[in-house]
Amino acid sequence: MRLPRRQFAPRMSITSLIDLMLILLFFFMISSTYINLRMIPLVSAGAAAAGAVALDRPDRLLIRLGADGAPALAGGRVDHPSLRRIVAERLARDPRGAVLVLPSGGASTQALVSLLDTLAAAGARDVRLVRLEAR
Amino acid sequence: MRLARRPPPPPGEPVVALINVAFILLIFFMLIGRLDATAPFALSPPLSTEGTPMPGGGMTIAVARDGRLALDGDDGDFAGVSARIRARLAVAPPGTTVRINADAAAPLGALLPIIALFDGRRDGDVVLVVAASGR
Repeated sequence: MRLPRRQFAPRMSITSLIDLMLILLFFFMISSTYINLRMIPLVSAGAAAAGAVALDRPDRLLIRLGADGAPALAGGRVDHPSLRRIVAERLARDPRGAVLVLPSGGASTQALVSLLDTLAAAGARDVRLVRLEAR
Repeated sequence: MRLARRPPPPPGEPVVALINVAFILLIFFMLIGRLDATAPFALSPPLSTEGTPMPGGGMTIAVARDGRLALDGDDGDFAGVSARIRARLAVAPPGTTVRINADAAAPLGALLPIIALFDGRRDGDVVLVVAASGR
């Protein structure tokens, strides 16, 4: 009498699955960046079109950004805490006042972003970058 | 005579827990990774406390710390990159976001002419990429 042999289902090898998964894991670990990227709007679709602006209107505050990254107001250098206080006081009197930023081409992008941060913290909502053009 | 029984084979290491952990890590890195077009040069964005969440998609303009430019990973001089930007904008769907990914040390002399290309743009935002920093 022949005894029936027990049938075992063939076992599927998962070694290749683990290999592939670890390769993908290493790829995403190496290619991922842990920087929390955010944005600062420069040109908004709904904003008014850019155009010529007068720099000497009294309702506009003109801030120059020097090549060394230091902001200057009315010809004098000013640090960021003082600038924030001045802008906040100005906006308290005139909430719709615009702030114009005239940056030097030698300043760094970080200096501009820090200035925009200070203006945003002071409550400025109408901030415009201006550039001088020859007439 | 009693024959010595062969010792049982050592039990195999359970790999199910390893697969679970590797799979969870794989999903984690897949979710946090961004597979955007990268710049052909190393750059680190400026730090900002006031940035807002950045949408994906659109086109990315990279500005290196030495002023080199690139559009979606392809570098070139200002004339070439600006021509490619205009060509891309001409066929881009309305609302296309333009991201400017500038190095923190990039001079504004290289960044401002790029921003000026979008003067009067009404059908999409132009944003500056920043990295979030704590207050």
